[in-house]
Amino acid sequence: MFEPFVDVVPSFFGWLNQGPLTLTIFLHTIIILPMIWIYRQEKKRIEQEEN
Amino acid sequence: MAKRSVWSDNRFWQRSAAWITGFASVLLIWLTFDTMAQITIGTDADIKNGVTKRVPAPTVINYKITYEMSTKRGHEVPIIGGNDGQGMSLFQEKELFFGRDDWSEEEAAELLHLGKLGSQVKNCMNCHTLLGNGAYYAPDLTKAWLDPQWGPDGSMQAMTGKNTKEEAMAEFLQNPSKYPTHARQMPNLGITAEEAKGLVAFLKHMSSIDTNGFPRNFGKIEGAVHGK
Repeated sequence: MFEPFVDVVPSFFGWLNQGPLTLTIFLHTIIILPMIWIYRQEKKRIEQEEN
Repeated sequence: MAKRSVWSDNRFWQRSAAWITGFASVLLIWLTFDTMAQITIGTDADIKNGVTKRVPAPTVINYKITYEMSTKRGHEVPIIGGNDGQGMSLFQEKELFFGRDDWSEEEAAELLHLGKLGSQVKNCMNCHTLLGNGAYYAPDLTKAWLDPQWGPDGSMQAMTGKNTKEEAMAEFLQNPSKYPTHARQMPNLGITAEEAKGLVAFLKHMSSIDTNGFPRNFGKIEGAVHGK
């Protein structure tokens, strides 16, 4: 699953886009996780407004 | 009162969209600068010091270029001036290019520039593909210099009556409609001798660019069929 990084010019993005798995993990980390966080905040806010 | 859902709440979607748009902007700016390091052309000093750059200096036309399978990377890589046995270029073995192997940085850059302009003026990409850009009506030219068809065992030198790869290519470019090659014959584009020289230099330099194995399975190269 994880292979040594052998690109000519080392780069964060070269490492990132080794394959679909690394890219998927990255995109979920930066999009889905913050959205879960925002969801919880908004849920809290709505509940407070309703009370 | 019915319970309000977060999913139908505007603020949730606004904040999510703002986060993704903001992050994507930062990522794209970062990517732009990251790409610069990858595509910046090397210098003659890099070649002399044995430093491998993804895009080597124009003086790479003074060196022998081969395309060899790298088991480490799982595809072919251009090897400049000999292989060190580890799949890296040695930058030692030279090769005459139009009778010379001492093209200076300025001369080589000028020749390459002429070739690049020529490739644009004659619209090579209308039929061919260069570094992933262009058409597949005619063969991919990204690694054309490494095509064995132009080598000593290929048919092109005999067909054009020339003894070297660069002369055979230059002759072909000046009179393409004279030589039956591909399934579709290349038309005569009025390329002059000097332009042809520039174009061949342009092609030789392009073949030395490390394209991470693109085009995959460059079929005409012996051994290339093992590419992933």
